[in-house]
Parts: sequence; C-alpha cells; structure tokens
Amino acid sequence: MNSSLLFENYPLPEGIWDEMYASGDVRAPYRSIYEFLQSIPPDELNKKEELARRLFMSQGITFTVYSSGEGIEKIFPFDIIPRIVTAAEWDFIERGIKQRLKALNLFLKDVYHDQFIIKDGVVPADLIYSCPHYIREMMGVNVPHDIYVHIAGIDLIRDHDGTFYILEDNLRTPSGVSYMIENREITKRIFPDLIPQNHVRPVNQYPTILHKNLVALSPRPVANPTVVLLTPGMYNSAYFEHTTLARLMGVELVEGRDLVVENHIVYMKTTNGLQQVDVIYRRVDDDYLDPLVFNPASELGVSGILSAYRKGNVAIVNAIGNGVADDKAIYVYVPEMIKYYLNEEPLLKNVPTYQLKNPDESKHVLDNITKMVVKKTNGSGGYGMLMGHEASDQEIADYKKEILKDPRQFIAQPVISLSSAPCYINGKARPRRLDLRPFALCGPSGIEIVPGGLTRVALKEGSLVVNSSQGGGSKDTWVLSV
Amino acid sequence: MLSRVADSLFWMSRYIERTDGIMRMLKIHYASSQDDTHDFAWRPVLKIFSFLDEAEMARLEGNSREVLRFMVVDRENPNSVLNMVTKSRENARAVQDHITKEVWQCLNEFYHIVRDEKLERALKYEDPITVLDSLIRQGMLYYGTTEITMARGEGMCFMNIGKYLERAIQSADILQVNFSDLHLEADKMTDPSYWKYFLMSISGYELYLKNYRSGFETKNILDQIIFNINFPRSIHYSIQQMHRYFERLKNERNLDQFEKIHFQIGKLRSAVQFSNVDMTLNEGLPNYLGRIHNDLYSIGNALNKQYFAYT
Repeated sequence: MNSSLLFENYPLPEGIWDEMYASGDVRAPYRSIYEFLQSIPPDELNKKEELARRLFMSQGITFTVYSSGEGIEKIFPFDIIPRIVTAAEWDFIERGIKQRLKALNLFLKDVYHDQFIIKDGVVPADLIYSCPHYIREMMGVNVPHDIYVHIAGIDLIRDHDGTFYILEDNLRTPSGVSYMIENREITKRIFPDLIPQNHVRPVNQYPTILHKNLVALSPRPVANPTVVLLTPGMYNSAYFEHTTLARLMGVELVEGRDLVVENHIVYMKTTNGLQQVDVIYRRVDDDYLDPLVFNPASELGVSGILSAYRKGNVAIVNAIGNGVADDKAIYVYVPEMIKYYLNEEPLLKNVPTYQLKNPDESKHVLDNITKMVVKKTNGSGGYGMLMGHEASDQEIADYKKEILKDPRQFIAQPVISLSSAPCYINGKARPRRLDLRPFALCGPSGIEIVPGGLTRVALKEGSLVVNSSQGGGSKDTWVLSV
Repeated sequence: MLSRVADSLFWMSRYIERTDGIMRMLKIHYASSQDDTHDFAWRPVLKIFSFLDEAEMARLEGNSREVLRFMVVDRENPNSVLNMVTKSRENARAVQDHITKEVWQCLNEFYHIVRDEKLERALKYEDPITVLDSLIRQGMLYYGTTEITMARGEGMCFMNIGKYLERAIQSADILQVNFSDLHLEADKMTDPSYWKYFLMSISGYELYLKNYRSGFETKNILDQIIFNINFPRSIHYSIQQMHRYFERLKNERNLDQFEKIHFQIGKLRSAVQFSNVDMTLNEGLPNYLGRIHNDLYSIGNALNKQYFAYT
C-alpha cells in the first residue's frame, strides 16, 4: 500500500485555521514532519500508535476509573502526530502570558489588600464579593514575595484567521503538565531522531524550575527546607501527575492525613516523629484544604493549615483565594487590569465575553443563543456548558431557566471555531480541533514559561470540546527553536 | 520517612513475598499431582492460603485446574495471586516517589499481566507449569530490580523487614500444615517423591541433598526449614535478616519505640538460634511452630503500632 495515502482526502474545513494546511499547501514548519509521516508504511504507524499505548500503560501513566468495585486503568488518549508552534508564535505567546500573569498577580494582591482597582471603579465590587472563590480569610495576608500565582495553565485557542485568544486563566491547581513531559518522552520513543532533526525545544526542565521556586518560598532560612506535594490521594484522576512531579522534584508526596498542625506549624508524621513542613505545593482545592475554615466534611485537608499559612509559618502554592482571578466573570476585566496595573495594551486578546448579569448583554445572548457558548463562571472540565450551535430546543429552554435563576453565575462567548490539526485516526490523517495550555511558573526571579505545553484535542469529529472528561485527547507540543 | 510510606513499602514487599510463596507452592504441588497414583490432595495448600470453609475445600481439593484458577485469578479470593499483586501494586502506587521507576514499572507490568484475560485462559487450557513459571519470573524480576535499583535507606529496610517477616511466617505455616497432617497420611512419610516435591516447592531440594545423606527424614527436613542459617527460606535465616534490617532503623529520635521491637525480635531470634530439632520435637512440633507464628504476628503488630500508625 502506498504510504502517501495518509493525507489523502484530508478534509479542509472551511472557516477554520488548520495548523498544517494553508489553502491546500502544507505550511513550512510542518513540511518536515509531513514528509516524514508520508515516508512511513501505514502498518508501521499503527505499530507506533500501539507502542505509545503500551508505554503509557506499562509506565502507569494512567488514571483509574472505578466501576463495580474494581479499578480499570485508562489512558488519556494520545495522538501520535505532534502539534507545532513556531518560534515566532511562541515568542508572542510567551510575552502575552507573562504580561497577563503579571497583571493577575498584582490584581490578587490588590484584591486582598488595598482594593484600589475597586475604588477606582475598574472592577465592580459586587462581582468580587459574589465570587465563590473570593476568600475573606485572605484579606490582609502577606504572601511570600507577593506571588499568588506560582503555577498557571492558561488556555489558548486560535480563531479562523489564526489569531491566538485567551480562553481561560487557570490559576488555582492547573493540571496536565505531566502530560507535557510524558508526551515528549513517548514521542522520543516512537519517532527516534525526529526531535533533534526538527530543532524542538526541550520541556524537561519544568520540574527543576518549579522545585527551585518552591524552595525559594521557605519561611525558614534553612539550606534544605521540607517541600511537600499535597495530593488528594490515589483516587484522584490526576494522581499520576502528582506522583510524577513529586518524583521528578524529589519532594515528599503527602496526603492530608500525613500532616498535622501544632501551634500554627505544619508537621508531617514520619517514622521518626514529627518533621516541620516549609512549603506545600498543594493539588487540593481551597474548599477542601482546611476543614476548620472551609468544607468541614473534607478529609483531604489539614485542620489549622490556614492559620499556619496566615502566620507565615508555611508557604502554600498556589496561594489560597486565587479563584477570584480566574473566575469567568472576572475574566472579562483582565484586559482592563493589564491597562490599569501595567499601563500596557494587552498582547493576547480575550474571547469576546458577555456577562448575563447585565440585562442588555443578556438579551443579546439569549437572542443569538445558537451562536453562543454559555458557561458557568466557576465551572471547569467542560461540565455545565451549553454549546448553542448543537443544543436542542429543549436543552436551550432548560438552560435559559437555569440562567434566569442566577445570572451572575453565567457568561457567554460567541462560538469560536478552534483551529484544527491532523490526527492519526483509523489509519488516516484527519483534522481535529485543539487548544494549547502552556504552563507558566512565577518565582522570585520572575516568570518562566517552559517552551511547550499541553495540546488538548477533541477526538470526536467536529467536536469543539477538548476536555479529557469529554472525549478529548492530547498531542506532543513542539515549540521550534528556529 | 512518612509513617504512611513506611507502611506501604512494608506491605508492598510482604504481598509480593506471599505471592512468590504461593506460586512456588502451586507449581510444585501441581507437578506432584501429575505423578500421583491416587487423588492428589490440594488440602494443605488451600488450608494455608485460603479462607475456604470445609464444604468449599472438599469441592475444590480434587480438581487441580480449578484450584489453580481459584489461587491465581479468582477475584473473590483475597489471597489469589491477582489480588496479592493488585494490593502490592496499590501500595507501590501510593509511594512512587520512594521507589525507583524501575520497581514501579515492574509491579505495574505484573499487575497488568495478572489482570489480562489471557492468563485465565492459559491456566485453563495451557501447561500450568509454563504459566506459573512466567509469573514466578515476573516476581523474580521484582526481587532483582529492587536489589539493583533501590537506595539502601530506611525504605529498603522496611521492605526487607516485610519480606522476611512474611517469609518466616510462611515457612512456619508450611511446616505446620504438612507435619500436623502426617498421622493422617503416614504413607507419605515413606513416599520420597512427596518430600522431594515438598522441598522443591520451597527451593530447598538441592541443599537438602548436599547436607543430608540419609534420604528423607522428618528430622532433617525440619532442621533445614527451621534452623539452617544457609537456607534462604529457613525460619532462622528469615528472622536473622529481619533483625539485621530492623537494627538499621535505630537512631536517637526513636529510641523508645525501637527498643521495644528490638527486644521482641532479638528474643525470637535467640529462641530459634539456641534450639534444635530434638528440643522442638520434645516440646511438640505444633506447639513450637505455634509459638513462633504468634511471636511473628506480634512483631508485625508492634511495627504497625510503633512505626506505621498515622491516624
């Protein structure tokens, strides 16, 4: 069989930016991988796909789904064809994200201290106080180096003309970075030599940078502070990521039950008694962190941890209360924040967003609902969304009722088409829609973004939802150095 | 080291040791069953490694394939190889940052192998020895991988304590079951092939031939399995190793808890070291083995209380 059939009849969707094709021609950065893939016999590509699957499985890069009392190991689907970001595109993304994060950090400090931005009327006070992730207990708390967002996973998408837009700011406990690292490792295995030949920038420095930043936050001036990664435990779907990061950084992976607070100091329970903990990289949400302050039923957290934090005896990463900055209703104001705090024009654009609490915007949305995506302001994982263009009349009617109950909880955005890229599907390259989540790390020495990220892809034909919980997969993301 | 982590490492290792023991027993008992002129009884194996009631045991004991299925892949049997490996791997999964990537992958692969439907089919239709051999090799891969890759720290100590505690318990239990039933099957005593298989099941056959020239005698078999310090499955050797790794846990911060358990292990070690087969038989074998069994369990409980308690 002729291998050049791989890209045969590649259906170029109209009005969509395809990462590989521009009006029938292969874009320059993709030419090398395009030719390489064409040169491989089709059954070899199937073998590579199988090898990737086996590597994920045997290395335990899996999450467990529990059904009828038994755990079944699942793989986050991986598409073998890499996604490419050019050096110029990356340069722009990097500058845009740094600018945005700088402003968001200043915003969080401001919101939890002087609130100039509210007093100056840039962001309405009611929007802040009605946000469920605004944490009153954080008022006036000084965090180390004034850094709130140590790790951000900002989602980018591309419109029909290739323009990058910010879709969401994930500033709480963004996940997926282990897939950035592992996808690259898998690509090295299935496509030998391809990475150096294409001048792809490495991503494996991520754990080192993160660890350096965590150590720098230690409240105790000791040479070797105790840094821990707090996980909700092995039943969490991101548990693989927690173990990977702990291993790669050489820090202790702890659960809430391993920690105890005495006299506003956090300790872990070891075989040699209690050992003081200095820095906690937590992958447990605010709500579950401290049963004394937040959800009292939580068994994932540690009683008294917030008081230890407020007293500055322990550093917590990301800071508590960050949710007020990545709330989808606050998102609308981020471009304003950039102007307000930095006196700069935003580099990366927001997707136009309507707030349903405003009557005229609400009317516009409801009148044009088939062209809109409506989301909950504090939702995530692709749950609770209404995709207007594919919803039934009944679904729309039901959703409208929900909106009217509490309009503050909803925003709407015009359906953005999302760019497509070739995926290897049943022996053929087929376009599927994708987004990009680079991971930015803020430390005392500034913001660093590892050149790469998690490319999530909607593996269902025509689908715009890339979330792993909704049939999404991922790709290795290549940032080229030239 | 976190108490929870120490606990998981201890059990990760214990479960694999038990799995290894079970698989070796199954292999040799199966081989022995093919030699038997009369119905081969799986009862001793089922007695040590399952919690079946009398009726269930009677139903299973004459059917080798059914016993193998039950002992290897049965999901309801808590001591099946499948469940042991699953538990070991669950413990490993919770402490991935304390074991090497190689050890984790080894247990993870083992887990995927025992859960593969192919295994159940193979046990049913293929040569059980080949199937069990491949599983045993997977276990040996784990032993080798830990030996080569694991850091010689606290974690390795807890793994070894778990391993040798489990091994000592198993050796004591195997003797208990095989020798307490003796009066029921007196002819087995004179049946060299039974003892040959018995020794082979615990990898002690070659050593026995080298040490004891007079054929199979109860006294010699007991001597090897309880007292021979060069036999890696003997109770004496296992306790000595446990003692050795436990002593490495000593430091100023945990002297109290250390001393308590150290006393227990040391006492048991002396009781085995300064004893012999004649003294054992004078006391009565079931009594003697029962005492060792209980002492081993109370060491396990003390470890749990002093080192692993994290709630």
